[in-house]
Amino acid sequence: MRLNRELACQEVVELVTAYLDDALLPDDRERFEEHLVFCDGCQNYLHQMRGTIAAVGRVRVELPAELQEKLLEAFRGWREA
Amino acid sequence: MIAYKFLAPGAVAPFTGFHWPVGEWVAASGRDQCRQGIHACRIRDLPLWIHAELWEIELAGEIDEQPRKVVAERGRLVQRVTGWNEGLAAEFGRFCAARTRERVGFLPVGSGYVGDVDRFVATGRIPIAGFAAARAAEWRDGPGAYEEEREAQAGWLAERLGLGE
Repeated sequence: MRLNRELACQEVVELVTAYLDDALLPDDRERFEEHLVFCDGCQNYLHQMRGTIAAVGRVRVELPAELQEKLLEAFRGWREA
Repeated sequence: MIAYKFLAPGAVAPFTGFHWPVGEWVAASGRDQCRQGIHACRIRDLPLWIHAELWEIELAGEIDEQPRKVVAERGRLVQRVTGWNEGLAAEFGRFCAARTRERVGFLPVGSGYVGDVDRFVATGRIPIAGFAAARAAEWRDGPGAYEEEREAQAGWLAERLGLGE
């Protein structure tokens, strides 16, 4: 049995980007953080995501315009899905 | 209002990385109080947010009492609750394990929970020991038992740490 308000690890993984973007609703944010208190695996995952974002943010890469547009289009589609 | 706040070692907020100064008022950084307000625990919230350090915090301004935390406009760390340390955390874990053993240890599937909680305590994973103890209670007696177990944990912490509100 699982309480409705409690997130599973898979849900935490799915929500991590929204959490880092500060885009979660307050209740979801609380549920997310409550899960982190007791879940070492998700703490590590969040830590790795933060590290990855920081590292990638320092990389200077010029994408070909066509590739960049394809990627943006794919992300837009993902958001809508 | 006097409340409590669990922090990572060095008085660091575990989710934001904010380094809390001691004795200085800290104001919420924006109008969205729930996201940017000062988050703290009443006694009953403590088992949900366990971390390395426990601090007494004074809250001021608008205070929103939510089901599992309080959120305020301003907060000031008053003093560290020094009684909360690795030794007491382990003792708390053993308290959770003992209650789990008593509640579900004699049941075929329930004994698995006892093993889980014992293992978490033995490896110093105290927050999940408390969670698993509450989950074991829920498994046997329904969702109300989860909350009941969390209340028992909060009561134990308050008594052993001499906390009041």
